[in-house]
Amino acid sequence: MMGKAAMQTLSPVVAQASDVKLTVRIDSSVMNTSEPEQTVSTQSATTSEVVSTDVADVDVANETTQARRARFERDAMVYVDQLYSAAMRMARNPSDAEDLVQEAYTKAFSAFHQYKPGTNLKAWLYRILTNTYINLYRKRQREPLQSNADSVEDWQLARAESHTSKGLRSAEADALDHLPDSDVKNALQAIPEEFRLAVYFADVEGFAYKEISEIMNTPIGTVMSRLHRGRKLLRDMLADYAVERGYLKEADQLTETEK
Amino acid sequence: MGDCQSLGDCDDQRIVRIYEYLDGSLSREDLGEIKAHLDGCADCSHEYDLECVIRSVVKRSCKEAAPETLKEAILARLHEGRPAAV
Repeated sequence: MMGKAAMQTLSPVVAQASDVKLTVRIDSSVMNTSEPEQTVSTQSATTSEVVSTDVADVDVANETTQARRARFERDAMVYVDQLYSAAMRMARNPSDAEDLVQEAYTKAFSAFHQYKPGTNLKAWLYRILTNTYINLYRKRQREPLQSNADSVEDWQLARAESHTSKGLRSAEADALDHLPDSDVKNALQAIPEEFRLAVYFADVEGFAYKEISEIMNTPIGTVMSRLHRGRKLLRDMLADYAVERGYLKEADQLTETEK
Repeated sequence: MGDCQSLGDCDDQRIVRIYEYLDGSLSREDLGEIKAHLDGCADCSHEYDLECVIRSVVKRSCKEAAPETLKEAILARLHEGRPAAV
């Protein structure tokens, strides 16, 4: 059903795959600058390094439980901080985030025989985490997270759009750079969940569009539009915080839309 | 090259390009095109800088360490239930 569309959206990514390998190779010799090329390749490097863990000699079918557990502990536990950080963007508090990660790891281990060694383990774990989150919250049916998302999103987006041409552009990088972590987290938390997670997966984890689409189980086109809108919203929120903190002049930020 | 008199020219498509550029999702040709454009367009390169800062700020702010107790709990759960086939 999604065959054709998926293929179409996939093709640029596939086409880019060969570039990615190239840039990674270049990157390893250059290392450590913040030039654009490196930004691009650093991200690809993060995703491809995962793949490079021992692909060889794992006989998943004949592995003992003990061996599988050892392999799981060795390969999957290294992501616990990252998964926890992501869970903190999903759940609203540390205790729920811990539950989420615990649950995700339990599920991941029981499905670990289905994980194909040599494929992207981090993305696989993120997918399980995301599914766990969705299921957990659906089951609990408490504070239906997305019920207000549409309206919130509409006014937020309208507002973000109205700022795009002037206000946001004059937002100073320095001002945003000085924001305390708590403001940044609150800003992220304030944007609708699907946008937030897409932005998180791309900006923090450096997942490629295709990986995000697998993690969130949505077409690549949707991922891209979520990212685009999510980033606008995020920037708008960040600029607001910067104004509040006095890092940014209000005139730079808020124009006629001021509430 | 790459001069745009009004923001309008650069607004949406180019910004999307900048995102894709930073996301590492451009083809080789597009990569060259956007790099050349960024060199010549102050607005877009401002946009690019800002986007870089936002990413680094978000990255920095979202780093959390999982509590030790959580790690222990995960490991404990892995070992409980089915005893290992030692």
